[in-house]
Amino acid sequence: MDSTSDKALMMKVKNGDLDKLGLLFERYNRPLFSFFYRMCKEAELCEDLVQSVFERMLKYRDTYTGDGKFTTWMFSIARNAHIDHYRKQQREGIPVEIDEERLEVEQEETKVVVNKKEKKELLEIALSRLDEDKREIIVLSRFEGLKYKEIADILDTTEGAIKVKMFRAMKELKDLVNTLNEECSHE
Amino acid sequence: MNEQHEQLIADYLAGNLDDAGKTQVEELIANGTIDFMEFRELEKLHEDLGSISAPAPGKEMSSKFYTMLEKEKQSVKEPWLKIAQNQIQQFIAELTMPRLAYGLVLLVIGGFIGSQLNSSDSEIDQLSQQVQDMREMMMVNMLEGASAADRLKAVTISSEMTSVDSEAIHALLFTLNNDPSVNVRVQAIEALKRWGGNERVRQGLVKAIAKQQSPIVIVELADAMLELELRNSAPEFRRLIEERDLDFTVQQKLESSIAALM
Repeated sequence: MDSTSDKALMMKVKNGDLDKLGLLFERYNRPLFSFFYRMCKEAELCEDLVQSVFERMLKYRDTYTGDGKFTTWMFSIARNAHIDHYRKQQREGIPVEIDEERLEVEQEETKVVVNKKEKKELLEIALSRLDEDKREIIVLSRFEGLKYKEIADILDTTEGAIKVKMFRAMKELKDLVNTLNEECSHE
Repeated sequence: MNEQHEQLIADYLAGNLDDAGKTQVEELIANGTIDFMEFRELEKLHEDLGSISAPAPGKEMSSKFYTMLEKEKQSVKEPWLKIAQNQIQQFIAELTMPRLAYGLVLLVIGGFIGSQLNSSDSEIDQLSQQVQDMREMMMVNMLEGASAADRLKAVTISSEMTSVDSEAIHALLFTLNNDPSVNVRVQAIEALKRWGGNERVRQGLVKAIAKQQSPIVIVELADAMLELELRNSAPEFRRLIEERDLDFTVQQKLESSIAALM
Protein backbone atom coordinates (compact mmCIF):
# COMPACT_ATOMS: atom_id res chain seq x y z
CA MET A 1 0.00 0.00 0.00
CA ASP A 2 1.35 3.45 -0.91
CA SER A 3 2.26 5.08 2.40
CA THR A 4 0.62 8.36 1.39
CA SER A 5 -2.57 6.80 0.03
CA ASP A 6 -5.82 7.72 1.77
CA LYS A 7 -6.13 4.23 3.20
CA ALA A 8 -2.55 4.16 4.51
CA LEU A 9 -3.01 7.55 6.15
CA MET A 10 -6.31 6.51 7.77
CA MET A 11 -4.70 3.28 9.02
CA LYS A 12 -1.96 5.42 10.60
CA VAL A 13 -4.66 7.55 12.25
CA LYS A 14 -6.26 4.35 13.51
CA ASN A 15 -2.90 3.23 14.94
CA GLY A 16 -2.51 6.46 16.88
CA ASP A 17 -0.69 8.79 14.46
CA LEU A 18 -3.46 11.39 14.67
CA ASP A 19 -1.45 14.04 12.78
CA LYS A 20 -2.09 12.12 9.57
CA LEU A 21 -5.72 13.17 9.77
CA GLY A 22 -4.40 16.63 8.94
CA LEU A 23 -3.24 15.38 5.54
CA LEU A 24 -6.64 13.82 4.89
CA PHE A 25 -8.28 17.09 5.95
CA GLU A 26 -6.12 19.02 3.47
CA ARG A 27 -7.10 16.60 0.72
CA TYR A 28 -10.80 16.39 1.37
CA ASN A 29 -12.11 19.46 3.21
CA ARG A 30 -13.03 21.18 -0.06
CA PRO A 31 -14.74 18.22 -1.78
CA LEU A 32 -16.73 17.64 1.43
CA PHE A 33 -17.60 21.32 1.72
CA SER A 34 -18.78 21.46 -1.90
CA PHE A 35 -20.82 18.25 -1.38
CA PHE A 36 -22.61 19.79 1.59
CA TYR A 37 -22.94 23.16 -0.15
CA ARG A 38 -24.66 21.59 -3.12
CA MET A 39 -26.99 19.78 -0.75
CA CYS A 40 -27.93 22.65 1.58
CA LYS A 41 -26.47 25.94 0.27
CA GLU A 42 -25.69 27.30 3.75
CA ALA A 43 -21.94 27.92 3.93
CA GLU A 44 -21.70 28.17 7.71
CA LEU A 45 -23.68 25.00 8.23
CA CYS A 46 -21.57 23.23 5.59
CA GLU A 47 -18.38 24.14 7.46
CA ASP A 48 -19.86 22.71 10.67
CA LEU A 49 -20.81 19.53 8.81
CA VAL A 50 -17.26 19.15 7.41
CA GLN A 51 -15.93 19.51 10.96
CA SER A 52 -18.44 16.92 12.10
CA VAL A 53 -17.21 14.46 9.45
CA PHE A 54 -13.62 14.69 10.68
CA GLU A 55 -14.74 14.45 14.30
CA ARG A 56 -16.57 11.26 13.42
CA MET A 57 -13.52 9.91 11.60
CA LEU A 58 -11.55 10.36 14.82
CA LYS A 59 -14.31 8.98 17.00
CA TYR A 60 -14.82 5.87 14.90
CA ARG A 61 -11.22 5.40 13.74
CA ASP A 62 -11.04 2.02 15.48
CA THR A 63 -13.81 0.71 13.23
CA TYR A 64 -11.95 1.64 10.01
CA THR A 65 -11.00 -1.59 8.27
CA GLY A 66 -9.44 -0.29 5.06
CA ASP A 67 -11.91 -2.32 2.96
CA GLY A 68 -13.22 -0.47 -0.08
CA LYS A 69 -12.29 3.02 -1.13
CA PHE A 70 -11.57 5.60 1.55
CA THR A 71 -13.82 8.16 -0.18
CA THR A 72 -16.75 5.73 0.00
CA TRP A 73 -16.29 5.49 3.77
CA MET A 74 -15.83 9.26 4.04
CA PHE A 75 -18.93 10.14 2.03
CA SER A 76 -20.97 7.59 4.01
CA ILE A 77 -19.97 9.48 7.15
CA ALA A 78 -20.75 12.79 5.42
CA ARG A 79 -24.17 11.57 4.40
CA ASN A 80 -24.95 10.39 7.94
CA ALA A 81 -23.79 13.74 9.36
CA HIS A 82 -26.12 15.51 6.94
CA ILE A 83 -29.08 13.26 7.77
CA ASP A 84 -28.44 13.54 11.53
CA HIS A 85 -28.33 17.31 11.27
CA TYR A 86 -31.77 17.47 9.60
CA ARG A 87 -33.23 14.92 11.99
CA LYS A 88 -32.03 17.05 14.88
CA GLN A 89 -33.55 20.14 13.26
CA GLN A 90 -36.81 18.28 12.73
CA ARG A 91 -36.87 17.29 16.39
CA GLU A 92 -36.36 20.93 17.28
CA GLY A 93 -39.06 21.96 14.78
CA ILE A 94 -36.90 24.30 12.65
CA PRO A 95 -36.84 22.94 9.07
CA VAL A 96 -40.05 24.07 7.40
CA GLU A 97 -39.39 27.77 7.93
CA ILE A 98 -35.92 27.57 6.43
CA ASP A 99 -37.12 25.70 3.36
CA GLU A 100 -39.90 28.21 2.74
CA GLU A 101 -37.51 31.10 3.04
CA ARG A 102 -35.17 29.45 0.59
CA LEU A 103 -37.98 28.83 -1.86
CA GLU A 104 -39.01 32.48 -1.77
CA VAL A 105 -35.47 33.57 -2.47
CA GLU A 106 -35.28 31.09 -5.32
CA GLN A 107 -38.46 32.50 -6.85
CA GLU A 108 -37.05 36.00 -6.69
CA GLU A 109 -33.87 34.70 -8.22
CA THR A 110 -35.88 33.23 -11.08
CA LYS A 111 -37.01 36.71 -12.07
CA VAL A 112 -33.44 37.94 -12.00
CA VAL A 113 -32.47 35.05 -14.19
CA VAL A 114 -35.22 35.95 -16.68
CA ASN A 115 -33.70 39.34 -17.10
CA LYS A 116 -30.12 38.24 -17.22
CA LYS A 117 -30.84 34.99 -19.01
CA GLU A 118 -28.15 33.33 -17.03
CA LYS A 119 -28.48 29.68 -17.80
CA LYS A 120 -26.08 28.68 -15.11
CA GLU A 121 -28.15 30.22 -12.33
CA LEU A 122 -31.29 28.69 -13.78
CA LEU A 123 -29.66 25.30 -13.64
CA GLU A 124 -28.62 25.92 -10.04
CA ILE A 125 -32.19 26.77 -9.08
CA ALA A 126 -33.52 23.70 -10.87
CA LEU A 127 -30.97 21.54 -9.06
CA SER A 128 -31.95 22.95 -5.69
CA ARG A 129 -35.62 22.20 -6.44
CA LEU A 130 -34.91 18.58 -7.12
CA ASP A 131 -35.78 16.12 -4.33
CA GLU A 132 -32.86 15.65 -1.97
CA ASP A 133 -32.34 11.94 -2.70
CA LYS A 134 -32.17 12.64 -6.43
CA ARG A 135 -29.93 15.67 -6.02
CA GLU A 136 -27.62 13.62 -3.82
CA ILE A 137 -26.98 11.08 -6.58
CA ILE A 138 -26.28 13.78 -9.16
CA VAL A 139 -23.95 15.60 -6.76
CA LEU A 140 -22.00 12.47 -5.85
CA SER A 141 -21.71 11.32 -9.45
CA ARG A 142 -21.32 14.54 -11.45
CA PHE A 143 -19.60 16.84 -8.95
CA GLU A 144 -17.71 14.51 -6.62
CA GLY A 145 -16.76 12.10 -9.39
CA LEU A 146 -17.81 8.92 -7.56
CA LYS A 147 -18.44 5.75 -9.55
CA TYR A 148 -21.98 4.34 -9.55
CA LYS A 149 -20.68 1.31 -7.62
CA GLU A 150 -19.26 3.58 -4.91
CA ILE A 151 -22.52 5.52 -4.65
CA ALA A 152 -24.36 2.21 -4.42
CA ASP A 153 -22.09 1.19 -1.51
CA ILE A 154 -22.75 4.49 0.26
CA LEU A 155 -26.52 4.26 -0.21
CA ASP A 156 -26.54 0.52 0.47
CA THR A 157 -28.18 -0.48 -2.80
CA THR A 158 -27.17 -1.99 -6.16
CA GLU A 159 -25.19 -0.34 -8.92
CA GLY A 160 -28.04 -0.95 -11.37
CA ALA A 161 -30.53 0.81 -9.09
CA ILE A 162 -28.22 3.82 -8.84
CA LYS A 163 -27.89 4.03 -12.64
CA VAL A 164 -31.66 4.00 -13.03
CA LYS A 165 -32.05 6.64 -10.31
CA MET A 166 -29.36 8.78 -11.93
CA PHE A 167 -31.09 8.61 -15.31
CA ARG A 168 -34.46 9.51 -13.79
CA ALA A 169 -32.99 12.31 -11.66
CA MET A 170 -31.34 13.80 -14.75
CA LYS A 171 -34.59 13.53 -16.67
CA GLU A 172 -36.49 15.29 -13.88
CA LEU A 173 -33.81 17.97 -13.73
CA LYS A 174 -34.16 18.48 -17.47
CA ASP A 175 -37.95 18.90 -17.08
CA LEU A 176 -37.42 21.38 -14.23
CA VAL A 177 -35.00 23.41 -16.35
CA ASN A 178 -37.47 23.42 -19.24
CA THR A 179 -40.32 24.52 -16.95
CA LEU A 180 -38.19 27.33 -15.54
CA ASN A 181 -37.23 28.35 -19.06
CA GLU A 182 -40.90 28.49 -20.07
CA GLU A 183 -41.76 30.53 -16.94
CA CYS A 184 -39.01 32.94 -17.91
CA SER A 185 -40.15 33.34 -21.49
CA HIS A 186 -43.77 33.99 -20.43
CA GLU A 187 -42.80 36.84 -18.08
CA MET B 1 -37.66 2.83 -22.56
CA ASN B 2 -36.83 -0.01 -20.18
CA GLU B 3 -34.50 0.04 -17.16
CA GLN B 4 -31.67 -1.49 -19.16
CA HIS B 5 -31.73 1.43 -21.55
CA GLU B 6 -31.90 3.88 -18.65
CA GLN B 7 -28.80 2.26 -17.15
CA LEU B 8 -27.08 2.43 -20.51
CA ILE B 9 -27.69 6.18 -20.80
CA ALA B 10 -26.53 6.71 -17.19
CA ASP B 11 -23.31 4.87 -18.11
CA TYR B 12 -22.97 6.97 -21.26
CA LEU B 13 -23.29 10.20 -19.25
CA ALA B 14 -20.65 9.10 -16.77
CA GLY B 15 -18.30 8.15 -19.60
CA ASN B 16 -18.29 4.48 -18.60
CA LEU B 17 -19.10 3.04 -22.05
CA ASP B 18 -16.55 1.42 -24.33
CA ASP B 19 -16.88 1.47 -28.14
CA ALA B 20 -19.33 -1.45 -28.15
CA GLY B 21 -21.53 0.30 -25.60
CA LYS B 22 -21.52 3.54 -27.57
CA THR B 23 -22.46 1.64 -30.75
CA GLN B 24 -25.35 0.05 -28.85
CA VAL B 25 -26.60 3.52 -27.83
CA GLU B 26 -26.32 4.72 -31.45
CA GLU B 27 -28.30 1.70 -32.66
CA LEU B 28 -31.04 2.29 -30.06
CA ILE B 29 -31.26 5.92 -31.18
CA ALA B 30 -31.33 4.88 -34.85
CA ASN B 31 -34.22 2.46 -34.34
CA GLY B 32 -36.12 4.99 -32.20
CA THR B 33 -35.97 3.08 -28.89
CA ILE B 34 -34.12 6.03 -27.36
CA ASP B 35 -35.51 9.44 -28.23
CA PHE B 36 -32.68 11.37 -29.89
CA MET B 37 -33.81 14.82 -28.77
CA GLU B 38 -34.19 13.75 -25.16
CA PHE B 39 -30.82 12.01 -25.26
CA ARG B 40 -29.11 15.13 -26.62
CA GLU B 41 -30.81 17.29 -23.97
CA LEU B 42 -29.61 15.01 -21.19
CA GLU B 43 -26.10 14.95 -22.59
CA LYS B 44 -26.04 18.76 -22.79
CA LEU B 45 -27.51 19.11 -19.29
CA HIS B 46 -24.86 16.76 -17.87
CA GLU B 47 -22.20 18.86 -19.54
CA ASP B 48 -23.73 22.17 -18.33
CA LEU B 49 -23.74 20.94 -14.73
CA GLY B 50 -19.96 21.28 -14.87
CA SER B 51 -20.36 25.06 -14.95
CA ILE B 52 -21.91 25.16 -11.47
CA SER B 53 -19.23 25.92 -8.94
CA ALA B 54 -19.28 25.89 -5.13
CA PRO B 55 -17.60 28.58 -3.03
CA ALA B 56 -14.49 27.82 -0.99
CA PRO B 57 -14.88 27.23 2.74
CA GLY B 58 -13.85 30.00 5.13
CA LYS B 59 -10.42 30.09 6.75
CA GLU B 60 -11.88 29.42 10.19
CA MET B 61 -12.87 25.90 9.19
CA SER B 62 -9.23 24.90 8.98
CA SER B 63 -8.26 26.40 12.31
CA LYS B 64 -11.31 24.83 13.96
CA PHE B 65 -10.25 21.45 12.62
CA TYR B 66 -6.67 21.74 13.89
CA THR B 67 -7.88 22.89 17.31
CA MET B 68 -10.14 19.85 17.46
CA LEU B 69 -7.25 17.58 16.41
CA GLU B 70 -4.94 19.01 19.08
CA LYS B 71 -7.62 18.46 21.73
CA GLU B 72 -8.05 14.85 20.63
CA LYS B 73 -4.27 14.31 20.73
CA GLN B 74 -4.16 15.63 24.29
CA SER B 75 -7.06 13.45 25.37
CA VAL B 76 -5.35 10.39 23.87
CA LYS B 77 -2.14 11.11 25.78
CA GLU B 78 -3.83 11.62 29.13
CA PRO B 79 -5.48 8.22 29.49
CA TRP B 80 -2.13 6.51 28.75
CA LEU B 81 -0.47 8.44 31.54
CA LYS B 82 -3.33 7.64 33.87
CA ILE B 83 -3.23 3.94 32.99
CA ALA B 84 0.53 3.81 33.59
CA GLN B 85 0.16 5.62 36.92
CA ASN B 86 -2.63 3.29 38.01
CA GLN B 87 -0.62 0.21 37.08
CA ILE B 88 2.41 1.35 39.06
CA GLN B 89 0.23 2.18 42.06
CA GLN B 90 -1.51 -1.18 41.80
CA PHE B 91 1.83 -3.00 41.54
CA ILE B 92 3.19 -1.28 44.66
CA ALA B 93 -0.04 -1.95 46.52
CA GLU B 94 0.16 -5.64 45.69
CA LEU B 95 3.74 -6.06 46.91
CA THR B 96 3.91 -8.42 49.89
CA MET B 97 6.88 -9.72 51.90
CA PRO B 98 7.18 -13.14 50.13
CA ARG B 99 7.07 -11.35 46.76
CA LEU B 100 9.76 -8.91 47.86
CA ALA B 101 11.98 -11.78 49.05
CA TYR B 102 11.44 -13.64 45.78
CA GLY B 103 12.37 -10.51 43.82
CA LEU B 104 15.52 -10.09 45.90
CA VAL B 105 16.64 -13.69 45.20
CA LEU B 106 16.07 -13.15 41.47
CA LEU B 107 18.14 -9.98 41.62
CA VAL B 108 21.07 -11.80 43.25
CA ILE B 109 20.94 -14.65 40.69
CA GLY B 110 20.72 -12.14 37.83
CA GLY B 111 23.72 -10.24 39.14
CA PHE B 112 25.77 -13.46 39.39
CA ILE B 113 24.93 -14.54 35.78
CA GLY B 114 25.59 -11.02 34.55
CA SER B 115 29.08 -10.95 36.05
CA GLN B 116 29.87 -14.30 34.36
CA LEU B 117 28.74 -13.06 30.96
CA ASN B 118 30.40 -9.67 31.24
CA SER B 119 33.46 -10.75 29.30
CA SER B 120 31.42 -11.55 26.17
CA ASP B 121 29.52 -8.20 26.24
CA SER B 122 32.20 -6.33 24.32
CA GLU B 123 32.07 -8.94 21.53
CA ILE B 124 28.30 -8.59 21.25
CA ASP B 125 28.66 -4.81 21.13
CA GLN B 126 31.28 -5.10 18.41
CA LEU B 127 29.07 -7.43 16.37
CA SER B 128 26.00 -5.24 16.64
CA GLN B 129 28.09 -2.22 15.63
CA GLN B 130 29.21 -4.13 12.49
CA VAL B 131 25.60 -5.00 11.63
CA GLN B 132 24.67 -1.36 12.13
CA ASP B 133 27.50 -0.21 9.83
CA MET B 134 26.47 -2.71 7.16
CA ARG B 135 22.86 -1.55 7.32
CA GLU B 136 23.97 2.02 6.93
CA MET B 137 26.21 1.22 3.95
CA MET B 138 23.40 -0.75 2.31
CA MET B 139 20.98 2.11 2.86
CA VAL B 140 23.30 4.74 1.36
CA ASN B 141 23.92 2.52 -1.70
CA MET B 142 20.26 1.73 -2.20
CA LEU B 143 19.32 5.42 -1.96
CA GLU B 144 21.35 5.94 -5.11
CA GLY B 145 19.41 3.18 -6.93
CA ALA B 146 17.37 3.78 -10.06
CA SER B 147 14.14 2.22 -8.84
CA ALA B 148 11.81 4.16 -6.55
CA ALA B 149 10.88 0.89 -4.79
CA ASP B 150 14.55 0.31 -3.87
CA ARG B 151 14.92 3.84 -2.63
CA LEU B 152 11.79 3.42 -0.52
CA LYS B 153 13.25 0.22 0.96
CA ALA B 154 16.46 2.11 1.71
CA VAL B 155 14.57 4.74 3.64
CA THR B 156 12.73 1.99 5.52
CA ILE B 157 16.06 0.39 6.48
CA SER B 158 17.04 3.63 8.19
CA SER B 159 14.09 3.24 10.54
CA GLU B 160 15.58 -0.04 11.82
CA MET B 161 18.81 1.64 12.85
CA THR B 162 19.49 2.58 16.44
CA SER B 163 21.79 5.44 15.40
CA VAL B 164 22.95 7.12 12.19
CA ASP B 165 26.17 8.87 11.23
CA SER B 166 26.60 12.02 9.19
CA GLU B 167 26.87 10.11 5.89
CA ALA B 168 23.46 8.51 6.37
CA ILE B 169 21.91 11.83 7.40
CA HIS B 170 23.45 13.46 4.33
CA ALA B 171 22.03 10.69 2.11
CA LEU B 172 18.53 11.07 3.59
CA LEU B 173 18.60 14.87 3.26
CA PHE B 174 19.88 14.58 -0.31
CA THR B 175 16.99 12.19 -1.04
CA LEU B 176 14.49 14.63 0.51
CA ASN B 177 15.74 17.46 -1.68
CA ASN B 178 16.37 15.65 -4.94
CA ASP B 179 14.44 12.39 -5.26
CA PRO B 180 11.96 12.49 -8.18
CA SER B 181 9.40 10.37 -6.29
CA VAL B 182 7.02 12.14 -3.88
CA ASN B 183 6.56 8.91 -1.90
CA VAL B 184 10.29 8.53 -1.36
CA ARG B 185 10.58 12.16 -0.27
CA VAL B 186 7.67 11.77 2.19
CA GLN B 187 9.26 8.62 3.64
CA ALA B 188 12.59 10.44 3.91
CA ILE B 189 10.86 13.05 6.10
CA GLU B 190 9.40 10.24 8.25
CA ALA B 191 12.88 8.71 8.60
CA LEU B 192 14.57 12.03 9.38
CA LYS B 193 11.96 12.78 12.05
CA ARG B 194 13.36 9.84 14.04
CA TRP B 195 16.66 11.70 14.30
CA GLY B 196 14.97 15.02 15.06
CA GLY B 197 17.26 15.58 18.04
CA ASN B 198 20.25 15.86 15.70
CA GLU B 199 21.06 19.49 14.90
CA ARG B 200 22.10 18.69 11.33
CA VAL B 201 18.77 16.97 10.69
CA ARG B 202 16.88 19.94 12.17
CA GLN B 203 18.74 22.43 10.01
CA GLY B 204 18.46 20.21 6.91
CA LEU B 205 14.69 19.87 7.32
CA VAL B 206 14.24 23.65 7.58
CA LYS B 207 16.44 24.26 4.52
CA ALA B 208 14.50 21.62 2.57
CA ILE B 209 11.25 23.66 2.74
CA ALA B 210 12.27 26.10 -0.01
CA LYS B 211 13.33 23.25 -2.30
CA GLN B 212 10.01 21.41 -2.34
CA GLN B 213 7.45 21.72 -5.12
CA SER B 214 4.98 18.96 -4.20
CA PRO B 215 2.08 20.12 -1.96
CA ILE B 216 2.05 16.71 -0.22
CA VAL B 217 5.73 17.00 0.70
CA ILE B 218 5.25 20.61 1.86
CA VAL B 219 2.32 19.59 4.08
CA GLU B 220 4.31 16.62 5.44
CA LEU B 221 7.22 18.97 6.21
CA ALA B 222 4.83 21.33 8.01
CA ASP B 223 3.66 18.40 10.17
CA ALA B 224 7.27 17.40 10.87
CA MET B 225 8.16 20.96 11.91
CA LEU B 226 5.26 21.00 14.36
CA GLU B 227 6.24 17.61 15.75
CA LEU B 228 9.88 18.64 16.18
CA GLU B 229 8.87 22.14 17.32
CA LEU B 230 11.19 23.76 14.79
CA ARG B 231 10.18 27.39 15.26
CA ASN B 232 12.77 28.71 12.83
CA SER B 233 10.83 27.00 10.03
CA ALA B 234 8.00 29.58 10.32
CA PRO B 235 9.80 32.29 8.26
CA GLU B 236 10.55 29.70 5.56
CA PHE B 237 6.88 28.76 5.32
CA ARG B 238 5.92 32.44 5.30
CA ARG B 239 8.29 33.03 2.36
CA LEU B 240 6.77 30.05 0.56
CA ILE B 241 3.27 31.51 0.94
CA GLU B 242 4.40 34.91 -0.29
CA GLU B 243 6.52 33.79 -3.21
CA ARG B 244 4.63 30.82 -4.57
CA ASP B 245 1.21 30.38 -6.06
CA LEU B 246 0.24 27.62 -3.63
CA ASP B 247 -2.99 25.67 -3.59
CA PHE B 248 -5.49 27.32 -1.24
CA THR B 249 -5.67 24.35 1.13
CA VAL B 250 -1.87 24.11 1.35
CA GLN B 251 -1.74 27.83 2.08
CA GLN B 252 -4.27 27.36 4.87
CA LYS B 253 -2.33 24.47 6.30
CA LEU B 254 0.89 26.50 6.30
CA GLU B 255 -0.86 29.46 7.92
CA SER B 256 -2.14 27.26 10.73
CA SER B 257 1.29 25.61 11.12
CA ILE B 258 2.98 29.03 11.32
CA ALA B 259 0.44 30.10 13.96
CA ALA B 260 1.14 26.94 15.97
CA LEU B 261 4.91 27.36 15.67
CA MET B 262 5.01 31.00 16.77
